[in-house]
Amino acid sequence: MHIPNRATGIGIAVLGAAAAYGGSLLPPVPGQQVGPNVFPMVIGIGLVLCGIAIAIGIGKSFEEPEEVVASEDGAHVPADAVPPVAHGALKTLVPPLLLLFYAFTVDHLGFIPTAAVMVATTCFALGGTWRSALVLALCAPPAVHLIFAKLLRVPLPPGLLPMPW
Amino acid sequence: MSTFIEAWQMVLAPDVLMAILLSAIYGLVVGSLPGLSATMATALLVPVTFYLSPIAAIATIITASAMAIFSCDIPGCLLRIPGTPASAAYTDEAYAMTRKGQPELALGICLWFSALGGVFGTLSLIIMAPLLAEFALSFSTFEYFWLAFLGLMCATVVARSSPVKAIAAMLLGLLIACVGIENPAGTPRFTFGMTDLLGGIEVIPALVGCFAVAEVMRAMSVPEPPQLARRKFGSILAGQWKLTKEYPKQQARGNIVGIIIGVLPGAGADMAAWVSYAMAKRFSKTPEKFGTGHPEGLIEAGASNNASLASGWVPSLLFGIPGDTITAIAIGVLYMKGLNPGPTLFTEKASSMYALYIIFMLGNIIMIPLGIIMIRLATFILRAKRYMIMPVIVLLCAVGSFATGNNLFLVITVAAFGCIGYLMEKNGFPVAALVLGIVMGSMVEQHFITSLIKSDGSLLPFFARPVSAILAAITIGLMVWPLAVWLYKKRPQATAAAA
Repeated sequence: MHIPNRATGIGIAVLGAAAAYGGSLLPPVPGQQVGPNVFPMVIGIGLVLCGIAIAIGIGKSFEEPEEVVASEDGAHVPADAVPPVAHGALKTLVPPLLLLFYAFTVDHLGFIPTAAVMVATTCFALGGTWRSALVLALCAPPAVHLIFAKLLRVPLPPGLLPMPW
Repeated sequence: MSTFIEAWQMVLAPDVLMAILLSAIYGLVVGSLPGLSATMATALLVPVTFYLSPIAAIATIITASAMAIFSCDIPGCLLRIPGTPASAAYTDEAYAMTRKGQPELALGICLWFSALGGVFGTLSLIIMAPLLAEFALSFSTFEYFWLAFLGLMCATVVARSSPVKAIAAMLLGLLIACVGIENPAGTPRFTFGMTDLLGGIEVIPALVGCFAVAEVMRAMSVPEPPQLARRKFGSILAGQWKLTKEYPKQQARGNIVGIIIGVLPGAGADMAAWVSYAMAKRFSKTPEKFGTGHPEGLIEAGASNNASLASGWVPSLLFGIPGDTITAIAIGVLYMKGLNPGPTLFTEKASSMYALYIIFMLGNIIMIPLGIIMIRLATFILRAKRYMIMPVIVLLCAVGSFATGNNLFLVITVAAFGCIGYLMEKNGFPVAALVLGIVMGSMVEQHFITSLIKSDGSLLPFFARPVSAILAAITIGLMVWPLAVWLYKKRPQATAAAA
């Protein structure tokens, strides 16, 4: 998702102004000139300056276009020139959404079913067949559970499908 | 001498040896997979180091990162897909050798000269670190502040993107580090009433999110890289000794440049490899051969990036200032294991330091046999489908970040930083600068505030001491040069418009 420099610059400047303002509201340390407000204010001002610089195009000459390897001979082409993956933008959201799914459901469903859903969905989203997704969903969660829960003693919730170890 | 023997006893403990072997295999395999960088390999290992002894934990990070840096050359050489920005400098050269039918020679150079570079880098670490530690004992908070800030600025210069965007990314990292109550006054900042944010943003989930989740997100929107054709390799090390004798200058120059760049805070293997490749071409008697599969540049840059990896530990161990993103992760592990970086580390925990040197040496020595095995297996590993690897990485991101604090909020943090990292990368903001900002935020603030309290709010003492004045001049110079370049480039346009 490419955002124009002007928009990112303004966004950064607004964030910096908010940080500086938020910092200025912090209570000072009694009897001292310097408190917890100084550092966020300095950073906030810095971000405002950077935001303005980005918006007006300072430093743009240093930027290089993103390239990907497109063919077997290793030829590099600009990322924009490659035919886009079907539903690429939507698929991009799959990993963070799956992590949120894990965070909110693992205590109820348990580690193995939650992990199986994550693994199978990612596999599908990357173009895997249902067979490879099934194999991965059956093998990867127990293996990860064995390493983390049994060997490293991480308390992974058993939920609906507790493991025998 | 007794300290040295104690260090050997630490390293030869079965758990440490096992950690070295397993992390070496892990580093080689993950590094060789296109799209999985050395930093990502190291970041995913950190949750595991929580459960290891201090020396085993450090050994895991050192070995895995050294192996992954070498191993990242393999996809670069065989597929022209650099595994890490450090190997991008000479990928075209190595790939040209593969096209000429000499893949084993190219991979052999990467392996042999990486191992030699690593050994020289370790020697520099052994010699330089204690000497600099004595010098660093006289540093006050002013020097520490400028040194940390210089480290951050170097990281923005190294990034191959707009320096303004790099500075913005670094400041964003520093702002993220402000969250929580870990500030000189213990006041909650930017927590928005959430108890989970009181402790601040954890570095490890942020790292995992920025480097691993963002990479999986990127993989979702780009086509799968082309597959490697099956091939059989000849002898990997054949001809390497001859090349060592033929190009001693290039090798020595690569090692020295790598060591110097590694010692600079904030500048790591990436910069070392690019600078060395450019130097090799500049000083070569046959510069026209560069880019056509000529070993000279490959030797110099390959030696340089591994030499910088070891010497990058000098600022990390002495000042807690990371040389690059890998040492940024390592610093987190050092703190976690009670080996807090600082000049006193060399006197109070001398045996642990010796153990660290020994692990570096062992890591670079076992790199040769394990690297040869890895190259021979590369045909099979590089054929692994992305849809079989990435799902496991997403799962490891969730479990690994949860393991760092047994708190599901950390998994949400990983998801958030995945999105931040992805968006930043897509828009030309270097993620490494953001990460260094997060890692060094509390340290920079602590030295800044302490110095301001000492100087009664005045900025003049920041420039009063000779070392701090020099460091300040370099830092400010790095900060204003994008503006100077912009003004310089505007000048001819303005003159032309006036004419």
